[in-house]
Amino acid sequence: MNLKKFFHYFILVCSITLCTSCFDILEEINLNADGSGSVLVTFNMSKSKTKLASIMLLDSVNGYKVPTEDDINEVFKDAVRHLEKSEGISNIKQTKDFKNYIFTIACDFKNIESINGIFKELILEQNKKGKTNFSTTNFGYNMSSKTFQRYFTYDDSMKKSFYHLNNEDRKIFKDASFTSIYRFDNSVDSVSNTNSKIAPNKKAVMLRLDAMALILGEKTIKNTIELSK
Amino acid sequence: MTKQTILSIATFCLTLSVGAQELISKIPSTANVVVTVKGRNITQLMSVEEFSDSKIGQMMIKGISRETKDKITTIDGLGLDLNKDFHYFLEVKENIFNSVFLVPLKNKEGFLSMLSEQEKGRIVNEGSVSYFQDEYDGMTTIWNNNTLVVVMAVDQSKDDLYFDDYGYNDSYIQELTPPAPPAPLDQIEEAAEAIEESSEVVVEDAVEETIVESTEDTVVDYYDSAEYKKQQEEREKRRQEWQEKKDQNRKELAVKTVKRAKEIISGNNVAGSILKNTSYIKSIGRGNEEASLWVGDFMKIYEETMANTMSMLGGSNPYDFMNLDKIYDGISVTGKLDFADDKATFKMAYGMNEEMAKLYKPMYNGKFNKNFLNYLNEDELLGYWNLNTSTEGILDAYPKLLDLMFKPDAENTVSNGVSLVSNLVSILLDEEAAASIVRGDMLLALTDLREKEVTYTDYEYDENYNYKEIEKTKTETIPDFIFMFTSEQEQLFRKLMRIGVNEGEVAYENDIYEIVNMGSSNPFEIFALYKDDTVFIGSSKQHLAGIKNGTYVSKLSKKLKNNLKRNAMSMYVNGKKIVSEIPLEAYPSSLKGEIGFLTQNTEDIQINFSRVKGNSLSGEMTWATPEEGHKNSFAYFVNMIDALMN
Repeated sequence: MNLKKFFHYFILVCSITLCTSCFDILEEINLNADGSGSVLVTFNMSKSKTKLASIMLLDSVNGYKVPTEDDINEVFKDAVRHLEKSEGISNIKQTKDFKNYIFTIACDFKNIESINGIFKELILEQNKKGKTNFSTTNFGYNMSSKTFQRYFTYDDSMKKSFYHLNNEDRKIFKDASFTSIYRFDNSVDSVSNTNSKIAPNKKAVMLRLDAMALILGEKTIKNTIELSK
Repeated sequence: MTKQTILSIATFCLTLSVGAQELISKIPSTANVVVTVKGRNITQLMSVEEFSDSKIGQMMIKGISRETKDKITTIDGLGLDLNKDFHYFLEVKENIFNSVFLVPLKNKEGFLSMLSEQEKGRIVNEGSVSYFQDEYDGMTTIWNNNTLVVVMAVDQSKDDLYFDDYGYNDSYIQELTPPAPPAPLDQIEEAAEAIEESSEVVVEDAVEETIVESTEDTVVDYYDSAEYKKQQEEREKRRQEWQEKKDQNRKELAVKTVKRAKEIISGNNVAGSILKNTSYIKSIGRGNEEASLWVGDFMKIYEETMANTMSMLGGSNPYDFMNLDKIYDGISVTGKLDFADDKATFKMAYGMNEEMAKLYKPMYNGKFNKNFLNYLNEDELLGYWNLNTSTEGILDAYPKLLDLMFKPDAENTVSNGVSLVSNLVSILLDEEAAASIVRGDMLLALTDLREKEVTYTDYEYDENYNYKEIEKTKTETIPDFIFMFTSEQEQLFRKLMRIGVNEGEVAYENDIYEIVNMGSSNPFEIFALYKDDTVFIGSSKQHLAGIKNGTYVSKLSKKLKNNLKRNAMSMYVNGKKIVSEIPLEAYPSSLKGEIGFLTQNTEDIQINFSRVKGNSLSGEMTWATPEEGHKNSFAYFVNMIDALMN
């Protein structure tokens, strides 16, 4: 083993053993009164950047293949290609920060059905393959009643998959979180999810959940937001 | 007193001490590998009752009960004589590898109750011994009232190894008629055109018809041809012949195995027992270790395995032009595992022939830079790895080693090529000059664990949930390290650093260089320094500044100093400190509950490999164990397993 390789493994072992790991997902939607809007999804893993940078040097960890930067770029390319083909989706943007491990993807949508269309096929495929029951409709907006819906059906397979992981892999989700921020032109009258908060200016709703609560079905991201007419 | 006299007396004493009842006398002096587990020594460290009460013992008993359908419910019930020595030996003769287990019995009832009805039905009784043989592989189990012998034989002769199932070599036997060619391309194209032309009006069935009509006359089923059938018959005939030969070989081997098993259990060794083997006696002697391993003749094993296997490759045998006897001849390996009150030790010795020893000596007998000792503090040290090789010795020896490895055959291009390249390298390389850059002695030490602030990106939300990215900090535990190696080339080091400074990759301050662009993958800050013919690379600026200013306070025990100075390779792990200082969250969840136990019960681990002395290289791994709470180091490991099984 040459010295460079030796140091490489030395640093790797130290950082993987001693550094912690977690991540945050941020879902942000700005909805116009006519039902169009923009969506931004951020995957922030910068809290784990030391560990991730070390993991990225490996081929696999705990039996899982570690994606290379090229693999991640390819995934983003596929995602953009998919969005480009999706009806009612435009202005697609993506950012990849491999230094801080923050990735974003954003687009504009013509109406709320356009966002549902993005994942419909993927969810159907997952339901078929994993015998799960995830809803293919994630968002809804009734223009006449001015009601915005965040749909979510909890499926036990999430819990099962989680418990299928070994203890070390489960740790990754321990400090992970999911945040959603929905902004509207109209004022928010009410929200159904008691964990969500309405901004003082009544134009935004934020929901922040621990990933564990979501995975174990203790809390939900489901929400019905009534807007002023 | 001559060496021979001492050896003869030692052999005599050993023979007396083992007595006629000990199983070692059944091992032939020609055995190639011998492994011994000393039952008495182990039961003195931990009684069968104590072991049975441990969790691992309970688990073992549960397994035995399950296997024997509750006929045996204690370790004692197995009928093994745990106060005697257990042995394994390997003997290699005329391509046959006999792996033999010798097990002392207190009674045979325990063993018999472990046999299946089918095995019992195959038992043959001959006088005082009984045996049965596995039909498939000929494994022979033979026993009398106080000994159980299991012999597993493998015939390494080339005929038995390989059958050309798929007839890849058929072309060498007979000329193959090539399979019928596919339908001519122009006919397919015509059919395709026909489909295209009629696509607007012709229904799908008609298209299929067009294709069939245009190609059916030209398709020939090769697998239904007379030629193929003839080849298949030939293949089947060869396979049957091969199978018959294999069955015959198996039967012959089975007969030989039973014969050998009977010879072993009766102690009928024509060449005498292993106790007459001077190499064994010299290596293993009368040690008080709990287990030992001896590999006496590496070349013999190699000849019987590799040479036979490789000879099947014929001209493409990659080892054909190599002088493997020069390397393997005279190689022996000895290992001894000893459990003392406060430590477990595994000692190993690697013996080699005169020629190899002459080559290895200058490689592993490098000098040690005593300055290294001034830059370590045992109170904070987590561990180190030290190598005292000689760059000059390595560069000088490698061409010679390559020359030695390849046969001096005037007609062999590979041998000549290797020899030419090694000579060229030797001429072009100035070994002495290369050694002035890196002499070959180096030390890597984990000097401390410290908390380091690292930044990460988070979001700050205003009251209307608009957010902005902010940089936050958190602490991560990072070990500090230092790597030092001897180099006389200060100029070279400084020139290299100057290039880094000019390129903006390195910062310079007070004679200490800092690598500024380490990339996000590196959790360390890296600093470098040159002082007193030594290059230092480390993660702590303070440590390097202390070295530079001569203010670093070192502290190292005499034992560690000696290990560093006297060995070719030395490694030290301060188990107690590491276990106590690694943050709780870094532990696997399964171990978190046992941190208290681990902290109290983890001590140092040391591995040392000596320089080449005479014709041998020896190594020792020592695992220190706490005396408090543990009867001895063997009990410590059983207790440790028990604790971790919680």
